[in-house]
Amino acid sequence: MFLRRLWLDHFRNYRSLDLTFPQPWTLLQGGNAQGKTNLLEAIHYLATSKSSHARVEREVVGWSASEEPIPHARIRGQVERAGQVTELEILFTRRAQGNGFTKQVRINGVARRSLDLLGLLRAVLFMPQDIELVTGSPSIRRRYLDVALCQIDREYCRHLARYQKVLAHRNSLLRQLREGGARPGEPRVAAELGFWDEQLAEHGAHVLARRYAFLARLEPLAAAQHHLLSGCQERLHILYLPTFDPGHLGPQGLQELRAGHYRAPRAPLSPPVPAELAGRLQAHLETHRARELAAGATLAGPHRDDLVFLLDDRELRAYGSRGQQRTAALALKLAEVRAMAAETGDTPVLLLDDVMSELDARRREMVLEALSEVDQAILTATDWEDFTPGFRAQAYRLQVVAGQVRAGGKD
Amino acid sequence: MAEPLAQPVSNLIQAFSRLPGIGPKTASRLAYFLLRADDEIALNLARALEELKARTLFCSVCLNIADQDPCRLCADPQRDPTVICVVEEPLDVQAIERTREFRGVYHVLHGAISPVEGIGPEDLKVRELMARVRRSLETETPVQELIVATNPNLEGEATAMYLARLFKPLGLRVTRLARGLPTGGDLEYADESTLANALTGRSEL
Ligand SMILES: [Zn+2]
Repeated sequence: MFLRRLWLDHFRNYRSLDLTFPQPWTLLQGGNAQGKTNLLEAIHYLATSKSSHARVEREVVGWSASEEPIPHARIRGQVERAGQVTELEILFTRRAQGNGFTKQVRINGVARRSLDLLGLLRAVLFMPQDIELVTGSPSIRRRYLDVALCQIDREYCRHLARYQKVLAHRNSLLRQLREGGARPGEPRVAAELGFWDEQLAEHGAHVLARRYAFLARLEPLAAAQHHLLSGCQERLHILYLPTFDPGHLGPQGLQELRAGHYRAPRAPLSPPVPAELAGRLQAHLETHRARELAAGATLAGPHRDDLVFLLDDRELRAYGSRGQQRTAALALKLAEVRAMAAETGDTPVLLLDDVMSELDARRREMVLEALSEVDQAILTATDWEDFTPGFRAQAYRLQVVAGQVRAGGKD
Repeated sequence: MAEPLAQPVSNLIQAFSRLPGIGPKTASRLAYFLLRADDEIALNLARALEELKARTLFCSVCLNIADQDPCRLCADPQRDPTVICVVEEPLDVQAIERTREFRGVYHVLHGAISPVEGIGPEDLKVRELMARVRRSLETETPVQELIVATNPNLEGEATAMYLARLFKPLGLRVTRLARGLPTGGDLEYADESTLANALTGRSEL
């Protein structure tokens, strides 16, 4: 998979850009706030149709857009894959009233849904703040899984979208029932919640089963990457932390997890059976009616799940050093590249934002090795010196200054 | 300073701009069009608007918008009162009538269940449907089947499931239009043959 060309109009600090990528490796050099990260984010946006880090989406439309009769921003790219060129485009138009903007997707010039964009360009983006994958809130880790899986599997994305709609309805209904003083045993509670329980369980089961299956592939790859990056003997483990018993953890398994007694699994877990998951989630909802009515919210399901990172039996979030956390996050991203390639038979475009400056020589070496596994990598740096002369000689070099990109740079 | 607008003109612009999908620009355009157009066009519109409110009512049986009570469909002896097709909106009745496949009667819910918008069963004409079915059970033509023709989206499905739970215990057949309708869409936009197929291929809920 190869992004051949990229156009930007009024995207963040880019007024207008037309950029060609002639070589597998592109190196973007520039000072802070010149637009290096924005460029990588634009590419990631084109791949996922989402903002990369849950930033406020209206920031997408840059200030220069106000020069236009109808303020808008545009990301357009030409993707080559197996000799075929596809043109992808996302157009953001400011709404006439209120905040925000509308998003229109075109594929080869034809208007399509956001969902149709997924899988046409796949990208893995790593930025310095991705250390939050280990240290940040659970929503960051769920978002990580969702963004990765949506690029791999449209079915996943469909179930996830449906799940989120059902969840919004179900939460509203629980709130309304609470305000109406409903009791858990009342017939109207079962009558009104019944449909939403079934739907939540059905789509939640698909989401959960797919996450477990993806993690089963990702986890050993991340452990191997981590070993190479750190050279340490402790093994990285990633545990999935569910909100109800998926049935494959054993009798003690879930209680231990929920109580925060994490330990490295002695043997790989067999993934849960998808067909069983729906039944289990629905049963869980029915037995926890009183709690959900009291909370006025849905308390179990993939929207509440989390991942736990361990080094042997030690939880990284609480007990790891900053360096260990950073290494684990990088290992996870590099593993994602391989997991994506294994699932789709095609390597994603690897986008690395200012990664090198944080790493020692040995880790830099490892990252450069990962680059050789993908068809295309785009990297940013503040200093050319972050890269060896050998690497610089092989890369297509660009300089970014105040939203403008020009060829050239140090040998 | 510009001459202020004559009061009748600005009144009309105001009135138009309260309509859905009409902004201030369109409202002014419409108002000036009527101002310049033949008297007949403006007066026809005025009469139509007046009659809309004065001469339409809700049918007390099916809750459809009608010009008589009961409406022509409910009063028609050729229609089969034992099969009720339950729809969200009056326009859906038109859509199903166009197929000429259905010989029963209708019930209009005036919406669908949507907790996010705060619409529950009690906000729809469900109680009226229950009373209507119960009443019929005492007669020689008791209702035997409800065909739930709500929209093929999440809210429509939620409504269908709710009705199934409510009416099946009364011994009624509760059926749903066959799949094949474009999901997520509105019934009123489905083409006639698709809708006719969905009607004949309906299945038990
Ligand atoms: Zn009627």
